[in-house]
Amino acid sequence: MKYAYYPGCAAEAIMKEADETTRQVARILGIELIDMKNATCCGAGCLDEANLELSYVINARIFAIAESMGLNSIMTICSTCLQTMTKINQELQSDPELLERVNKVLRKTGTEYRGNVQMTHLLWVLVKDYGLDKVKKHVKRPLNMLNVAAFYGCHTLRPAEILGYEDPRNPKSLDLLIKALGGKTVDYRGKTRCCGFHTLLVNERASLKAGGKRLQEAKDKGADCMVTPCPLCDVSLDVYQSEAEKLYQKKTQLPVFNLSQLIALALGVDVSDLSFRKHLVSPKKIISAVIAAEG
Amino acid sequence: MRKKILIRRFDPETVDESFLQAFNVDLPQNATILDALIKIKEEQDGTISFRKSCRSAICGSCAVTVNGVAVLACNSQFKSISWVEGDVIIEPLGNLPVLKDLIVRFYPFWHEVEKTMPWLEPKEEIGEKENIVSAEDVAIIDESANCIMCGCCFGDCTIRETDDNFMGPAALAKAWRFVGDTRDAIKTERLELLSKACNAWDCTRCNLCIDRCPKGVRPLDQIVRIRQEAMKAGIKDNKGARHALAFQSDIKNHGKLNETTMPLKTVGIIRSLGMIPMALRMQMKGKVPFPIQKDIEGIKEVKKIYKIMEVDE
Repeated sequence: MKYAYYPGCAAEAIMKEADETTRQVARILGIELIDMKNATCCGAGCLDEANLELSYVINARIFAIAESMGLNSIMTICSTCLQTMTKINQELQSDPELLERVNKVLRKTGTEYRGNVQMTHLLWVLVKDYGLDKVKKHVKRPLNMLNVAAFYGCHTLRPAEILGYEDPRNPKSLDLLIKALGGKTVDYRGKTRCCGFHTLLVNERASLKAGGKRLQEAKDKGADCMVTPCPLCDVSLDVYQSEAEKLYQKKTQLPVFNLSQLIALALGVDVSDLSFRKHLVSPKKIISAVIAAEG
Repeated sequence: MRKKILIRRFDPETVDESFLQAFNVDLPQNATILDALIKIKEEQDGTISFRKSCRSAICGSCAVTVNGVAVLACNSQFKSISWVEGDVIIEPLGNLPVLKDLIVRFYPFWHEVEKTMPWLEPKEEIGEKENIVSAEDVAIIDESANCIMCGCCFGDCTIRETDDNFMGPAALAKAWRFVGDTRDAIKTERLELLSKACNAWDCTRCNLCIDRCPKGVRPLDQIVRIRQEAMKAGIKDNKGARHALAFQSDIKNHGKLNETTMPLKTVGIIRSLGMIPMALRMQMKGKVPFPIQKDIEGIKEVKKIYKIMEVDE
């Protein structure tokens, strides 16, 4: 299994641990990730607001890089990259006039997009392509002490007609993955709702309250921790958790893991390599419980 | 089929807090949520209150929340509510005050719609002659014109849940219906209003409104259209527009986003000062990347794209 690997800007900077642990997980599972060194940011649904035509060209250039590497599948670990790139890719693939217009620009820079690339996400790769039975075989440190709240993130689910992987009102993939890692799952209202990230810099208060609400909803249903497939959700839910607590005047202190960190933990990666020290809400107790159970 | 249905009851004259009341009801296989409500009211408890009228997903009066999802009761068959595992729980629409049982006070919703000036301001004096609009021009406002004002998008809106001043998806979709109308004379005025705080730029792009709308209005798509038109009209002195422009310039300058300078570019120097304690906490955890970024390989090609496309700064 081989993918052109597109971690996205957040996983290359503020949430570097998501990228680092994804590489470890891929190495253990035998999934080959090839770096796309000259790929830009996808624009995250913001570039198209500033300049729609430019966002087509910038993304087509990224898809063309994958084609030039001889690969037709790009794997990301960011929900917003997934949604932004899938949407633009579908428009390029379904509108030959648009594709030609975009290629007219790209050809002047020595490249071209032929329309043969598909987008995917680490979560989908593991559930759909790799198989959870195979993941299970690699589990060295089962998470059976943990009640894990799956937080899907908007941009792996909606809009369904663009992403189309699973029912956005009743998704299963992340819950199934948690179970495959030996954890227990938590059913809660916020599972398919929003962390508020995309308005953090515009309406900070509303954004923080949205994230805080999701954390409270999970905590109220007995979650020990939360897991997200998106580094942007991680920022809202972990980094800004204490700010949300201040607004609600209510402590949640719910540790939030990036998907790849939790998988790496279950696959037995040395705890010191999982960057847990970077969490704003300490997951120390959770890690100790998992290690104690491992014996 | 026999169904156990829990209905959230509330009557401000008799109880302080709402509660769930269980009913067991026999229904035909193709029954809708509204069929069940009518049957329960007729046969088991005549005091249950809910709104309904057309039973055909046209009037928009029967919106309720079913197991956390805002739907029209009349077009939701039990066999199609895929997200329900176990008992069916029917509750009033969210984000609006409850009057009694499943009936909410719609005033806050209408108040937001009213703010958008939902009428056409004609460019010329209305004469005897018809004003023909091309099929192409109709197409861009077609989706937004399908809104039946049921409130499903509003009831489940992420930002309306945490900010009472946010306009919400239905009003913004309605706003686009007039911004995008080629006959309208006050487009710029509308875009200026919509670019103010708590309007088009506050949406967090969660896509719940697209998922919930029973008529394919796709409110978020219309919100994005408003943002794009506002930027084209040069209305850029607001946080949302600055945020979008920061993406445009970061990609050109380095290829990647600069997360350290993004807050500064979006909210400005003064507001950024308030973020310093947060930034220090992140710094201590090793989370703040070095502000001077390395360019991606091939940044020259990216700059060339901007030049060819004559992208304004």
